[in-house]
Amino acid sequence: MEYILTMGVLISIFVILASSYNLVIGYGGLASVAHPIFYALGAYGASLLAIHTGIPAPLAIVFGGLVAVVASVLLALSALRVSGDYLLIASLGFQLGILQVIKNFEFTGGAGGLSAIPTTITGPLRTPLFLLICLSCAVATVWLVSSIVHGPYGRAITAMRDEELAFSALGRNAMSIKVVVFAIGCGIAGIAGGLYAFYFQYVSPEQYEVLQSAAILTMVVLGGMGTTWGPVVGAILLIAVPQGITFLNLPPSVMAPLQGIIFTTLVLIFLFVRPAGLVGNIGKTKSAQDQKALPEAAGKGGAP
Amino acid sequence: MMPTLRVQGVHKAFGGIVVADDINLDIDKGEILGLIGPNGAGKTSLFNLISGVVRPDAGEIYLEGKPITGQPLYRRARSGVARTWQNMMLFSSMTVLENLLIAPRHYPGESMADLVLGWGRVAAAEAAARERALTILERLDLGHAASLQVTDLPFGHQKLVGLARALMNDGALLLLDEPMAGVEGAAYETMQRAVREEAASGRAVCVVEHNVSFIKDLCNSAVFMSYGRILETGSVDKLLASKTLTDLYFGV
Repeated sequence: MEYILTMGVLISIFVILASSYNLVIGYGGLASVAHPIFYALGAYGASLLAIHTGIPAPLAIVFGGLVAVVASVLLALSALRVSGDYLLIASLGFQLGILQVIKNFEFTGGAGGLSAIPTTITGPLRTPLFLLICLSCAVATVWLVSSIVHGPYGRAITAMRDEELAFSALGRNAMSIKVVVFAIGCGIAGIAGGLYAFYFQYVSPEQYEVLQSAAILTMVVLGGMGTTWGPVVGAILLIAVPQGITFLNLPPSVMAPLQGIIFTTLVLIFLFVRPAGLVGNIGKTKSAQDQKALPEAAGKGGAP
Repeated sequence: MMPTLRVQGVHKAFGGIVVADDINLDIDKGEILGLIGPNGAGKTSLFNLISGVVRPDAGEIYLEGKPITGQPLYRRARSGVARTWQNMMLFSSMTVLENLLIAPRHYPGESMADLVLGWGRVAAAEAAARERALTILERLDLGHAASLQVTDLPFGHQKLVGLARALMNDGALLLLDEPMAGVEGAAYETMQRAVREEAASGRAVCVVEHNVSFIKDLCNSAVFMSYGRILETGSVDKLLASKTLTDLYFGV
C-alpha cells in the first residue's frame, strides 16, 4: 500500500513537471531542455532554507519556487534576447553549469546529495497526506496551465508562436510574454522540487541530469504536446510502466536495459504512428470534424 | 503643424546595399500616398523602417509630431502605426475573429498582473475588442467568416483579414504593403472602399502597390522610389508620364 501511495506522490510530482514543461515548450514554443534544473533549484532551495532556518515546509517550498523563477528570468533575459533557438543551447549549458555547482559545493552536499531534510509530517498518515498535497498541487498546475492558455493570454501565446513579427507589429510585447511564460513554467517546476525534497528527504544531483530532461520531454511528447491532458497521460504512463515491469521478477541484467528499450521504443513508435501524441489525436479528430462542417458554414454565410 | 508622418533624412544600409538613402517624406491626415517603383526599390524596407522592424542608421521619424525612431516595433504600433504585410503573416492556427482580437492597440489581457488583479477590466476589454472586430469584419463583408479558420478562406479574403487586423489598431497611420496583389472581384472593390473610408476618417495612409490603376484611383499623390532613393514626388499621372520613371519601372 505504502508503495502504491509513494508511486502516487511520484506520479503527481511528474504530472506537475510535465504539465509545466508543456506550458514552456508545447504552448510557449520555447525550446528549453533545462526543466530539471529548475526542479533541482526548487528542491535545493527549499531544503537548504529549511535545514538552516527551520522555517515551515510550505514557506520553504514557495521559496524554492521563487529561486527557480529568478533563475529562469535570468536565463530567459540573456538567451531570448539573441534569438529563440539560442535558448536550446543556453538552457543546456545552464543546466550542466548549475549541476556542476551543486556537485562541487559543500553546502549543497556535493555529488553525494543532500540529506537531513527536516521531517514535516509524521505518523501513519504521512504518505496519504503527502499524496493528497501533491495531488492537489498537480490538479492546480493542470488547471492553471489550462486557464492560462485558454484565455486571452493563451491567444497571445498562440499568435506569437504563429507569426512573431506580425504579433509584435500589432503592439504586443513578445519578449515579455516569453519571459513570463518561461518564469511561470519554471517556477512550478521549482515547487515540484520542494514537494519532492520534503517527501523523500533526500536529493542528489544525478536526479537532475540531462537524462531527466529527456524523460520529461518524452512524457510531454508521448502524451501530446500543447494539450491539457497529454502531459498528465504521459507522466502516468512513463512512471507506471517502468515500475510495472519490476513486478515481472526478471533478473537485474535484463531489467535495467529493458526499461531503456521500452522508453526508446515507445518514443519511436509514437513519432511514427502518433506524432501528435496520445491525447493530441483527440484534438485532430475534432479539427477534422470542423473541416467537414466548413463548406456548410461557408455556404450559409452568403459570401460576397 | 507637423504632418501625421514625417520621415526625415532616413538612411539605412545592409552591408553594401543601401535600402534607404536620405529619405524625406510627409503624409498628412486624410492623405493616401502611393509608393511605387520597381522590385527592390526599397518600398517594403521603408515600411519596415517606419513601423520599427528595422532601425535606421540615421534620420528621424515623427508620428503626429513625436519622434518614434527610438521605439521598438511593438511600441510604435501602440503609438499608432498600423501596417499590413506583403505575405499577410496571418496567425494561421487561429480563426478570423481571433486574428483580430490580438490586434487592439492597448490590451490588458496580455498582462499577467491585469489577468490576476483586474478580471473585470480584461473582460470589458475583451468584449469591446470583440465588438470592434465584428464591426470591422462586417464593414469588409467578412461577417460570415468570423469563426472560420483563417487559412480556409480564399486568398482575396485572407488579404482582407490582413487589412481588418491592421484596422483594429486605431492609430493615426496606416501602411499597406501590396494590398491588391492577388485580389480581384468583389474583394477588390471592398478593399478600395475600405482604404478610402480610412483616409476619410482622418488617417494618413501609405500604399505600396504594383497595381497602377489602384494607385491612380486612390492616391492623391505618389512617390517613385528606385535603389533606395526617392526619385520623384507628385501626382500619379505626372509620375507615369515621365519616360525615365516608366523605363525604370518596367525595366525597358
